[in-house]
Amino acid sequence: MANSNNGAADPTWGPRKDLDVLNRDDLRRIDGPDKTTGRAVYTHDVRLPGMVWAKLVRYPRARGTVKNVDVEAARGLPGVVHAAAVREAGETIAFSGSDSVVALVAGETPEAAEDAARAVVVEVEALAPVVTADQARADGAPVVRQRRRRPPKDNFSGLRENGEPDEVLEAVAGAAAQVDVTVEIPTQHHVCLETHGHVVQPGEDGEPPVLYASTQLVSVLGQQVDDAHGKPRVLTPHMGGGFGSKFSFGLEGKLAYELAHELGRPVHLMLSRSDEFTMGGNRSGSWQRLRLGADAEGTLTALHLEAEKHGGMGGGAHAGAPYHYEVENVASSIQSLHTATDANRAMRAPGHPQASFGMETAVDGIAYQLGMDPLELRKKNLTSPTHHRQLDRVAQEIGWNDHPNRVAPGKADGGVHVGIGFGVAGWGPGSRKCQVDVTVEPDGGVVSATATQDLGTGARTYVAAIVAEELGLGIDQVTARIGDNELPPSVPSGGSVTTGSSAPAVKHAAHLAREALEAKLEPVLEAPVGSYTWKGGRVSVTSDPERSLAWREVCALLASPLRVTGETQKSLYHGRIHGAQAAKVEVDTLTGRVRVLKMVAMQDQGLPLNRMALRSQINGGMIQALSYALLEQRVFDAQDGYLLSDSLDTYRIAGSREMPELVAIIDDDDERDAVSGMAEAPIIPGQSAIANAIYNACGARLTRMPFTPDNVLEAIHGKV
Amino acid sequence: MTEPTQADGAHPRPGDTTADASPGRTELSRRSFLVGAGGVAAAGHALGSGQDAVGSGGASATETLSGTVDLELRVNGQAKKVAVEPRTTLLSALRDRLEPALTGTKIVCDMGSCGACTVLVDGKPTYSCLTLAAQCRGKEITTVEGFGSPEELSDVQDAFCEKDGMMCGFCTPGFVVATHAALDRKPDATLDEIKYELSGNLCRCGTYPHVFEAARAAQARRSGGEGK
Repeated sequence: MANSNNGAADPTWGPRKDLDVLNRDDLRRIDGPDKTTGRAVYTHDVRLPGMVWAKLVRYPRARGTVKNVDVEAARGLPGVVHAAAVREAGETIAFSGSDSVVALVAGETPEAAEDAARAVVVEVEALAPVVTADQARADGAPVVRQRRRRPPKDNFSGLRENGEPDEVLEAVAGAAAQVDVTVEIPTQHHVCLETHGHVVQPGEDGEPPVLYASTQLVSVLGQQVDDAHGKPRVLTPHMGGGFGSKFSFGLEGKLAYELAHELGRPVHLMLSRSDEFTMGGNRSGSWQRLRLGADAEGTLTALHLEAEKHGGMGGGAHAGAPYHYEVENVASSIQSLHTATDANRAMRAPGHPQASFGMETAVDGIAYQLGMDPLELRKKNLTSPTHHRQLDRVAQEIGWNDHPNRVAPGKADGGVHVGIGFGVAGWGPGSRKCQVDVTVEPDGGVVSATATQDLGTGARTYVAAIVAEELGLGIDQVTARIGDNELPPSVPSGGSVTTGSSAPAVKHAAHLAREALEAKLEPVLEAPVGSYTWKGGRVSVTSDPERSLAWREVCALLASPLRVTGETQKSLYHGRIHGAQAAKVEVDTLTGRVRVLKMVAMQDQGLPLNRMALRSQINGGMIQALSYALLEQRVFDAQDGYLLSDSLDTYRIAGSREMPELVAIIDDDDERDAVSGMAEAPIIPGQSAIANAIYNACGARLTRMPFTPDNVLEAIHGKV
Repeated sequence: MTEPTQADGAHPRPGDTTADASPGRTELSRRSFLVGAGGVAAAGHALGSGQDAVGSGGASATETLSGTVDLELRVNGQAKKVAVEPRTTLLSALRDRLEPALTGTKIVCDMGSCGACTVLVDGKPTYSCLTLAAQCRGKEITTVEGFGSPEELSDVQDAFCEKDGMMCGFCTPGFVVATHAALDRKPDATLDEIKYELSGNLCRCGTYPHVFEAARAAQARRSGGEGK
């Protein structure tokens, strides 16, 4: 790439047209060959000499008092290495989740561990389950979250009130158009295909313990671990999905760690699929009532939001009101309603899909009530020109301008109807300090190293690609090393911060390496630092390209490996992102069946580091939203407190036959000379767009997710 | 131990394997499993026909396996000795018992819902989590590792890399194997048929569109004679 002639300078990403590696449409991720041939080793795949297989034993219901946990029979079985209760008689199991783990077993084989788990006799006196919102709200409901000081009197907590509710409600009542809508959103699971868990190699003989961990925070996971056996090494070469659920060492980690040290043997403890659904976290559900008013021209004037966050033992998440749209007069009242269920965790854009669904439902309602085009009404109440541009583009791509139902919905007359709906997103990805080492070897080898993790985002690929770009090399000439806490520190991958943190540090390190190499070139090519062009495996003097050297010749000037350390540069990051989506659906108004025909998403994020991987992530956001919209919900048995949706048969996620045509558009009008993460944004508005498309098709307002035939028919005919 | 059952190897009759069906037959328990036409079907794993059932080299033999036994499996063209229990799944035999382990085949749902454990058994895509290792003696097992290596990718693996048909990669081996099977079976599959063929596999990151593109790319290259 071309560089300035002004000596040492601050790094910049430079004009996109000059980039050879980044921003390409066909840049393959560098771990593709390992992943497609089964050679990529995930935590679940780690096999160590002498390793034992551990398994958790859970009480399968929500609440109870432990009477007895008898492990004697389990201990006597062949191949069983360990069987011990982790809960004692008299203790309370307060919720379905990690609290319901009652014993830990381990065997020489997975089957022996299975035998041991089945042989543990668990006696628990069941208590009232309190697993649904209705049960938690009921008068006299058992209080599920105990606190020693100021014990709570009911299952609500954390009330946050904003604005002047009376004034706002009066304004809504007097508005030309009014919507009063209540929405219900079920609890969603992350469904990481690799479950949570670890393989722990115990520390001994002065060697620290090694944790192979399926984690989103390689750099700092060790801080959650008791370091009596030495500061643990953490290794995550590959991980099979996190989506926000893998920030904690967890009970499963703690038990595996203790057992490994007790036995002096490596322990493999990965959650079973049922464990994963029970204690691996979730996106909180929500109940919301929105009252929204607008003037006759469609300008939103007043909004009142009342919301409950259903995060089980956690607080839940809701992004607040108004969501993206400008509303003059807003009041909100948001609180948590606790059930005796696993606490919510961060999940891709925590609180945002919930807030989007409520707000977009209300906004859409205003548009149709006024007989206005819902696209135009949105633009009228969104201030960002980026949102306007993106809405126009997705509308064009989905065929809105040729659609018959632009100001009034179709009818639920028993026929099959097509509708289109919209939604918008937004996120503020952060950037935090991290470090990257770039090493150039005299033989031409280049290593770019940082302790980050690749959740499937393509992080490993840009750790190499950015260096290749800066040094004019092919991506195959740079080795990326990640997933090891002994490498230079990186950030936890949450809130779309990874790219905004790591990529600028990689760029800075690569820039320092280039300048250090240019200093070596000064006596050879007789030009000062900053006056070279690195391209196509050669370096040349920018003003006199005849004076040049091949990459190997440059490296041969080094007497020893050159190592530089880069740090996150704020100037290389700018993190304010938007996003708009459109969905086209087909609704069978006789059967209530909804099929999504097409989804379009447009996303801005600054410089695309890898366009193909970026489109993969945008697609992923749309698909997870589609899956959430049509299929997903956690279901508890209210009578006895069993989690019924604890398998991939009973908790459905979208498969290939649910896939519509998907169009992921990278917003190339976003020309900022900066990078940013973007993973959260594209998951936010999809379910809203689908619900609005259903309304547009047939006039049925879907207020309860998922949009299964029964919920669609109820929206058409009312409760039967 | 081996003993003959139905002389003609015909369709098995339920009830043939009750513990006391015949003197000298080893009692059937959770730790033992009758391998062969009668045993397999009676244990609830109904196969298409007697001929489809696994015997040690023949159609009509029934054998009782008990405790841990050494089994020879043909995996990716090589004979492999593996110690299994009668209840050990093919998935567990590959991942947990083979030395060295073949961990490309993934465990996700462990109940036949997601396809991450898909391997080929005699060319047919098979959920290895629902298949007993002992059923696979004498059969040709192909795992994702058997199709190619990072240095020499199969055409499907290369197409997955070319089209970015993966994100976290945990479902990818199952999709690669299923795509190979689909394209072998239906070289002219339409996009809808490819979706159908891959509907036994789940992905959470949302790679489906790029997986379909990869399948189409590999298919196009095969029909153009450019496949590896």
